Amino acid sequence: MTYGTVTPAVVAELRAIVGGKSVWIDEERLEAYTHDETSSDEYAHAPDVVVLPTTTEHVAAIVKLANRERIPITPRGAGSGLSGGAIPVFGGILISLERMDKLVELDLDNMTITAQAGMVTNDLAHTVAEHGLFFAGYPMSVETCQIGGNIAENAGGGKAVKYGVTGRYVMGLELVTPTGEVVWLGGKLAKDVSGYDLKQLVIGSEGTLGIVTQAIIKLTAYPKAASDLLVLFDSPRAAIDLVPRMLRQGIVPTGIEFMDRLSFQTSCQYLNETLPYQDAGAMLLIEVDGNDPAAVEADLLAIGDLCEKHGALEVYVAEDRNAVERVWSVRRNIAEAFKVERPVQSLEDIVVPVASIPDVIPELERLGAAYGMQIPCYGHAGDGNLHATLVKDPAMDHATWLRNKDACLRELYRFVQGLGGKISGEHGIGLKRKAYLGDVTNPVEIDLMRAIKRAWDPLNVMNPGKIFALDAGP
Amino acid sequence: MHIVVPIKQVPETSNVKMDPVTGTMIRAGVGTVVNPLDLFAIETAVRLKEAHGGRITTLTMGPRGADKALREAMAMGCDDGVLVSDRAFAGSDSWATSYTLSQAIRKLGEFDLIVAGERATDGDTGQVGPGIAAWLDLPLATYVAAIPRVEPARGLTVERLVEEGYQVLDLPLPALITVVKEVAAPRLPTLRGKKRAKAAEITLFTAADLDLEPSYLGLKGSPTKVVKVATPRVTRGGTLVRAPDEDAVADAVEALLAFLDARDLLPTGGRA
Repeated sequence: MTYGTVTPAVVAELRAIVGGKSVWIDEERLEAYTHDETSSDEYAHAPDVVVLPTTTEHVAAIVKLANRERIPITPRGAGSGLSGGAIPVFGGILISLERMDKLVELDLDNMTITAQAGMVTNDLAHTVAEHGLFFAGYPMSVETCQIGGNIAENAGGGKAVKYGVTGRYVMGLELVTPTGEVVWLGGKLAKDVSGYDLKQLVIGSEGTLGIVTQAIIKLTAYPKAASDLLVLFDSPRAAIDLVPRMLRQGIVPTGIEFMDRLSFQTSCQYLNETLPYQDAGAMLLIEVDGNDPAAVEADLLAIGDLCEKHGALEVYVAEDRNAVERVWSVRRNIAEAFKVERPVQSLEDIVVPVASIPDVIPELERLGAAYGMQIPCYGHAGDGNLHATLVKDPAMDHATWLRNKDACLRELYRFVQGLGGKISGEHGIGLKRKAYLGDVTNPVEIDLMRAIKRAWDPLNVMNPGKIFALDAGP
Repeated sequence: MHIVVPIKQVPETSNVKMDPVTGTMIRAGVGTVVNPLDLFAIETAVRLKEAHGGRITTLTMGPRGADKALREAMAMGCDDGVLVSDRAFAGSDSWATSYTLSQAIRKLGEFDLIVAGERATDGDTGQVGPGIAAWLDLPLATYVAAIPRVEPARGLTVERLVEEGYQVLDLPLPALITVVKEVAAPRLPTLRGKKRAKAAEITLFTAADLDLEPSYLGLKGSPTKVVKVATPRVTRGGTLVRAPDEDAVADAVEALLAFLDARDLLPTGGRA
């Protein structure tokens, strides 16, 4: 497969489409677009040109041009992705949606917000909160991510146990197809079986089936009360065993977050947090929300009682905003804290049936010992999605690390497959996990995906090189 | 020891909106929290109790719903909660508040120590703690960062955080101290503490329960009058030096240095 190159004539044409100030070719500016939140050493690749459209028409015209010249396109949101999905592996044109950040419509009667794809999700959440409304599919990377990126990855987050992930709240989306056509999929409809559900196909397709330019997001009433329990256990097993038990109680927490000792110690030290965590082997962070503060309190107490009954070392309560922020910051800062302590790592995103979570922890310990690395584990225990993180021992040389990481991941992924799990719950396959998807996926399923990709993107220009190889075989 | 901890319930957001007419805060629709700086006072009292025994009474002046703040303090380890609440107290400034609280504390009977936060994050005056000390004629140490010596019923030694460093003071008891963040990191309430606090009875003091001079109360008794609320304009001046190409960089650096030098912002000796 050979792609066309970005010639001066192509750059001139791009400038004619979006204006000269929105087309960048200088190396310093391109650098920021060579990587996402995955390791730049391993995955970074520079685009030939970055284009910053402001309208859907701009995007469509760029895509048409790319098809004509057979130039690869990589769509990009905030670049906060964790799978290398926004990295332009074949160079070409990088389309950053960052300037398409406008609120299109807030429809209070239908409880929807329509926004351009580049709107920062945090801004969207603040906008609707002023009207007492709530975007429940809001993921964890609170300050940076954009709604378009959330849709491309079908992002999850800390509230997924109760509210599910981004896809549940996308009622409709405007798509620029890989060939440059513009189409609306879905709409402000609670039900819709008029043909295939192409909207859901696009959600989570990691920018390989087109570029989402606008989306209609379903809103709900903002929960009036939310409180958290931070529960200390002596072992990961004790903490994790409690999760299925808790869910059987009939109370659906907003989130159940798990942190093993290495994770919370690193984060607490990074934050100068003074909680008496030294004796604990694992923590659960459990959130309950709702419209009736008394009911939320009753749920919180019931869950707390259950934890105490099943061997919790201590149950802490966080009810006001400051305390809630304090306990969540321990959870949210784990990845950041590890980056400071041990920058070379592989952040994983495995997902297993909830009841299988207790089996994962000892396997991680075994793999860590076998491959000479630490594997701290934290994540969304309530929905079986764990961010086990392979962390390089500074004493290990880089070649051994790469070899051991690869072997360790293959073993881990097969183990996860054996439990009926998948290798990514919310971060996506992208570039980072592409080499592994085939190991743990039925070839029939991969072929179906290839057939879809070929039908939608005959010239393979839309975010090529992601998820799976287009041609079977070596 | 009997320790008294006066606390305040404040709006939970830092983005408070002001009523342009009355000059007071718009509290409707905003959630409340225990004044974050009071958590350090609560923690200090609980640690003193853990080390020396005794009991802690926390009190607050506010609307009836302010018992929520008291219960949170009790979940952290305070034993008793007293809510000072009456329409007559509405609109109190720091003078009227410290008067009313001091009369409520008198009614509590004997005590050894009052521990207050440095200031409230909403009013930001830092006057109520010292005000109570004045009304009750108590020795006072503000900005306490450490309490290296405690002799129950006799006295304590405190280290005050002052601009030049620490000032060490001996105080006889009873006394009042206000504490800064450095004194002790506050604990989170535990489930056990919360349940105990939830079941606890809160003592209510209304105006009728206290020995009060009516002309000292509420908005009418407050000498502070808000005349005007204004948002200061940021008037930071600056200059932009452009260096369109490599050749212009040296001149641009010169221009920046001259700018800093003219404002005495370069290290001693200027641009030597």
